[in-house]
Amino acid sequence: MKFIENTKIKFMSFKKAGFVLSGTLAVGSLFSLMLGLNLGIDFKGGTAIGLSFNEEVSIQEVRTVMQSVSVGGQEFDLSTEEIKYFGSNKDIMVKIKSQDNTPENFGQGIVNHIYTSMPTKVPEDKNMFILSLGAVSPKVGSELSGKAFWSIISALVLILFYISIRFEFKFAVGAILALVHDITITLGIFSLTGYEITLSTVAAFLTIVGYSLNDTIVILDRIRENMKSSGTVLFESTINKSINQSLSRTLITSLTTLFVIVVLLMYGGEVIRPFAFTMLVGVIVGTYSSIYIASALLATIYKSSN
Amino acid sequence: MNNTLTTRLLTILFIFGLGIYALLPSIRYQLLSDDAKDNLSEDELAYFESKSIKQGLDLKGGIYIVLEVDLPQLINTLAKNKDKKFDQFLEELNQDYKNSSTDFFTLFEEKALEKDLKLPRYFISYGKTKDQIIEQLTLQSADSINRIIEIIQNRVDQFGVAEPTIQKQGNNRVIVELAGVQDSERARDLLQSTALLELMIVKDVESTNTIVRQIDNLAAMNIEKTNDNVDQLFDTNNSDENNLGFSSLLIAVGSDLAISTSNLSKLQNILNQDNVKQVLDATGSLFLTSNSAATLINDFGEEEEVYLLYHLIDNAELTGGVIEDAQMRLSQSGVSAGQATVQVEMNNEGSREWARITGSNINKRIAIVLDKKVHMAPVIRSQIFGGGTVIEGLDSIQEAEDIAIVLRAGSLPVPVTIQEERTVGASLGADSVSKGTYSMLVGLLIVILFIIFYYKLSGFIASFAVVWTLILLLGILALLEATLTLPGIAGLILTVGMSVDANVIIFERIKEELRNGKSVRSAIDAGYERAITTIVDANLTTGIAAAVLYQYGSGPIKGFATVLFWGIIVSMFTAIIVTRFIFDYVTSKRTIEELSI
Repeated sequence: MKFIENTKIKFMSFKKAGFVLSGTLAVGSLFSLMLGLNLGIDFKGGTAIGLSFNEEVSIQEVRTVMQSVSVGGQEFDLSTEEIKYFGSNKDIMVKIKSQDNTPENFGQGIVNHIYTSMPTKVPEDKNMFILSLGAVSPKVGSELSGKAFWSIISALVLILFYISIRFEFKFAVGAILALVHDITITLGIFSLTGYEITLSTVAAFLTIVGYSLNDTIVILDRIRENMKSSGTVLFESTINKSINQSLSRTLITSLTTLFVIVVLLMYGGEVIRPFAFTMLVGVIVGTYSSIYIASALLATIYKSSN
Repeated sequence: MNNTLTTRLLTILFIFGLGIYALLPSIRYQLLSDDAKDNLSEDELAYFESKSIKQGLDLKGGIYIVLEVDLPQLINTLAKNKDKKFDQFLEELNQDYKNSSTDFFTLFEEKALEKDLKLPRYFISYGKTKDQIIEQLTLQSADSINRIIEIIQNRVDQFGVAEPTIQKQGNNRVIVELAGVQDSERARDLLQSTALLELMIVKDVESTNTIVRQIDNLAAMNIEKTNDNVDQLFDTNNSDENNLGFSSLLIAVGSDLAISTSNLSKLQNILNQDNVKQVLDATGSLFLTSNSAATLINDFGEEEEVYLLYHLIDNAELTGGVIEDAQMRLSQSGVSAGQATVQVEMNNEGSREWARITGSNINKRIAIVLDKKVHMAPVIRSQIFGGGTVIEGLDSIQEAEDIAIVLRAGSLPVPVTIQEERTVGASLGADSVSKGTYSMLVGLLIVILFIIFYYKLSGFIASFAVVWTLILLLGILALLEATLTLPGIAGLILTVGMSVDANVIIFERIKEELRNGKSVRSAIDAGYERAITTIVDANLTTGIAAAVLYQYGSGPIKGFATVLFWGIIVSMFTAIIVTRFIFDYVTSKRTIEELSI
């Protein structure tokens, strides 16, 4: 069975269109990023509480209860914090920004308050009421953001180094720019959709780095192979040929990967959803960028250096 | 079958066998019924626990807590001759430290410079120069974290958790992981409580009345001062409320004082005012509240939650250091019969002291204070010999047991703060496991159907490779005693998707070679040969990303990195070696004219 065979699409003829599209997306993403990213408690600090009620509850109900929460002798109005459903209408996720002078065991205090305030709707065993409880101090939050940032940078540098050794520096530049492109646009989509960035999204980012690179290298590998006949000159036709040769592989792999990611999105549950969403965006952007950024940039770099 | 084929077959079978062998304990354990699991002997349980794939806290449920030595508090304890300037320095340092990721002692040095604070003035016993002092203080903090770890280890051991992990992180943190623990509130209290037991004499009613009047006057003065400022303009309501002063917050309960729960923060505000602190310091006394609230009918006939307020001599007669043993006991007699208490036994030195204290304070009240909360304040009727005392006023047997544990394990030298906490309830963990497993099976099925549909017979071979990738990967995880986390399950699913890729690269190459007119046999050879470099390059770069993740990540993320890394290795093995063998074996048997690909 064949979807595609012997395609002769002149990918590089649309190079300019690709650059314009990517440029627009990247600038748009940067602009959107300036407006802000929804950083989770992992990076900002704060408290996140997942609660499981016996029956359906309305967000408004919980909000009302949160209007005056007394923990450790202090009163808090938490009704304006983020409260949303978590999977079903029985489960609630509450996220509270880190505040000055939070008392000890703030999270547990809030749980206890909701538990006693809504006695008819909570399970008898308080431990069954708590789905999850996460608390991160602002200090640890800033440490984690620093670590996340440097881990992505160091992954990029190591990969640049590896490709320079295995291929050529020019190849590496194209590949890395493609990765930066992927991450920028994925982040842009995050800031547009307001999806939360957590530790597991950072893991997903690094997986995208790996995945998109995988794609890029398959094509670069072909280009390298096809260049052997033409010496050090790189013709756009060589790039077109290489992309066409690996096109069916690119599509089939992206397709199978997308299958599993969609399954994860549908059945993986609430905890894994942000991860799967990141991967979904990343795989689409990554497949596109290996053709239009990595390869097209390579053509441009070679043109200007010759 | 020729020799090289046989060798290859044996190698592959050996590795498959190893994978299955490594997985056996996990499979056997999964197949056991809950009853059978309960009946396992300790040795058997230990065997299964060490040989099966471990589930992370996010799957099993449990608590992950990062505790940090309260360094500002440590500095405050170590400093001598503290004055207002020092207090202010420490306050600002504390604020800065809370929000910054900079090392504490670096901030300490910077702040001291900025505030022009002469360190030797406060820390002369630790050195004469700034550098000496900072070095010594750093040593002190390292020392305290080691003692803290020891004590927490003790407490956790007595609490009875299977496989707790307690690790030091950096210079002043400790990470505690308690898998399977359901009652997070209880575990947190147990870890975090300083467990400082102090016995303090209660001030008599007369001097308490005097000091209440003094504070009333001061509080009134303070209100006037603030009213002169902005408060009056913006927040008149609030200042009116504050104007009630100190004594109006208090409720008389018998000869004791009490304070309504809703007024606790106001009380703290008043007690924290500088001039109020000075007055209390001058008389060498302090106010502490009771450990739990009591319900009381107030003047309006309404129920009101109150804490008792005690005025104590600010000098512990005796501290928890003298405790030899502490046990939970149900009270046998009196009004408290049947209630949980903690029976404390002191060592010789403690017993002597206790006899002296009780002897010289007959008819006075002595407060039993745990972590700055008064548990009870009985009147000393007669001298007590033998060093025994009882703590009453506990809410439950569980609380009494926990207090006994922390008293036995010893008190923390410095308080600790919770920097990070992640609790996952068992229901969410179980939900994640079932959803993760389900999506893995569905994902696997779809992928297999798709490649068989697309590559026909060759697709079968690839599916075989994918299934074995999963089995071998799980086997490796069991061998490495790696922990499977929820992101780890996502990693497994991703590996399914990516292990197909290597097969796809090879098959597409073979198809291409066939199109170029090569025979089946030579197309297979050429296809594999050319695909290998691509596969290795592509996978190694993903491997780099996985390695970086492993370095960076904590808990769940690390689990993901492990799976991703080994997934790459295993999928390369199955795609390059296993499927190649199958193709070679089939073509060695007979000449195949047309490949089903």
